[in-house]
Amino acid sequence: MAAVAPLPQPDRDVAAYEMPEQATLLGDAWRRIRRNRLALVGGAIIVLLFVTALVSIVWTPYPVWLQAVGPTYQPPSPHHPLGLDQAGRDILSRIMGGALITAEVGVGSAIIVSLIGIPLGLMAGFYRGAVDTTISFFINIWYGIPDLLVALILVFVLSDALHLIPRGVFVIIVAFSLTRWMDVARLVRGQALALREREFVEAARMSGARDFALLFRHIFPNALGPIIVQATFAIPAAVLFEAFLSFLGLGLPSPTPSWGAMAADGYHGMDFAPHIVLAPTIALSVTLMAFNWVGDGLRDAFDPRMRR
Amino acid sequence: MTAVDGVSFNVDRGEVVGIVGESGSGKTMTALSILRLVPEPGQITNGRILYGDRDVVHMSDEEIREFRGNEVAMIFQDPMTSLNPVLRVGFQVEEAMAAHQRFTRTQARERVAPLLTRVRIPAAEQRVRDYPHQFSGGMRQRAMIAMGVSNEPSLLIADEPTTALDVTVQASIIELVRDLSGELGASVILITHNMALIASLCQRVIVMYAGRIVEQGPTRAIFKNPQHPYTWSLLRSIPRVDERTKEKLISIRGLPPDLSKPPPGCKFHPRCRFRVDRCFTEEPSLEEVEPGHLARCWVLMRNVEAPEAAQ
Repeated sequence: MAAVAPLPQPDRDVAAYEMPEQATLLGDAWRRIRRNRLALVGGAIIVLLFVTALVSIVWTPYPVWLQAVGPTYQPPSPHHPLGLDQAGRDILSRIMGGALITAEVGVGSAIIVSLIGIPLGLMAGFYRGAVDTTISFFINIWYGIPDLLVALILVFVLSDALHLIPRGVFVIIVAFSLTRWMDVARLVRGQALALREREFVEAARMSGARDFALLFRHIFPNALGPIIVQATFAIPAAVLFEAFLSFLGLGLPSPTPSWGAMAADGYHGMDFAPHIVLAPTIALSVTLMAFNWVGDGLRDAFDPRMRR
Repeated sequence: MTAVDGVSFNVDRGEVVGIVGESGSGKTMTALSILRLVPEPGQITNGRILYGDRDVVHMSDEEIREFRGNEVAMIFQDPMTSLNPVLRVGFQVEEAMAAHQRFTRTQARERVAPLLTRVRIPAAEQRVRDYPHQFSGGMRQRAMIAMGVSNEPSLLIADEPTTALDVTVQASIIELVRDLSGELGASVILITHNMALIASLCQRVIVMYAGRIVEQGPTRAIFKNPQHPYTWSLLRSIPRVDERTKEKLISIRGLPPDLSKPPPGCKFHPRCRFRVDRCFTEEPSLEEVEPGHLARCWVLMRNVEAPEAAQ
């Protein structure tokens, strides 16, 4: 029997009927997250953070490193809305510069953590057996290591001792990622374990698909929702990590406007000039909350069981 | 435990062979073995699976991967879960071709819409961009068939392709499988427990019970003249519209054996109406009862008088 010819199409206008919109993973999630007010507020704050970060590259009211633009410890005034710090630097300018650091550390860490965790998790869950045993062994060992300590050592060794990476944002991202990749890896492993048994994976295998295609075309896209959520939660963790290191004086070198370093700068004068500490800590807290709200919102939005 | 034991059969080029049997009789395991995809912890311990003169059991991993989908394609029972929900249907058909060397990526992309038209999906040009959830069950099965035939395999294994579908769609899917295999000159192994399907589609039938072939032969001979009591009971358990309408339907008592502790002797004897002493202790071998028609039974139905009366 010959192939059936396509049906003749009647010559009529179909525009009168509005086709239902096609639902994609991201489109569907977006529709649901729009109804989540807290996530929207968080999203707005994050947008503000990124815009500020971008603006700070080309313009800040004063150079972030410029000292003595006015009297030291000057409280907020019309000229300097957030006041001046102990070296007479404009705090608003430095908060803006700090936004760039924060965005770099957060996004960079989320990307590198995913780059390490996703392939490891996929392989562990997909191949099982010895591969899984080995990877899971390292995941569990890594969980047992005090990550802050290792990260500190990494920063010292990589930057100060060996001079492999200059002390800066990148070394902090590396240190964070090398000590916090396990959450993503473990999540992806679980997803891969469950998805590899699904019939469409089996069907693809039977049609001769390569392992690479099975992993990245069939398993990975189906696990994308939880992965995005996990990566989103890695951002505030990395931001806090950077601020903490810098607060201790072990993170970014002066005069880099890291929020953590700024808080450290100001805490000697906390009783008479609290604005120096308050500005960066409030910025930091709001940023962390925003990312956590968005993360929660995404988790609800991607979870099909929560469909409303 | 042994799920499939001593199953031996051949499929000629262009031939349609049916495998029937109850759930758990080893039909699917036999088919999966052909692709060397027996689920863990199962394994092929013994035997040969020859495709032409190549032995599937001893192929390298890359050879077997190239073999799957390219030379032998499988169509599944449940089209609702066999398509990846997050990828567009057209892309999945394209991927089935991209896995093999027969077509380049560009050729594969151009073949998608014609393939979907060929499996009679209307407005295929638009439908390639749809996701599986926008397809009906029958259309998904058509898409699966399109993936199956995309590399022009010479053997199609259809594992209960209509079981999960509406009755109204079943006939058209079967017709499609028949027409496509005819056009491609491909052989078909049809796995089913639907005798009517076998009768309408297959040239040869293999009846399986407890991991063994109990009867095998041309469809006409098996339906007219079944020799194994299991086949006989199976055929008598379905109402027939065409003849002998006054006949009583016969049910097979009991359940198929637990293969981790199979009964001694003939595996069917605990449920058989025609058993003799020998059935309890000795397992019969598959013997030719007439040219091309084999049965595994000590008794054979042609030696039974008035089988309907037996208890």
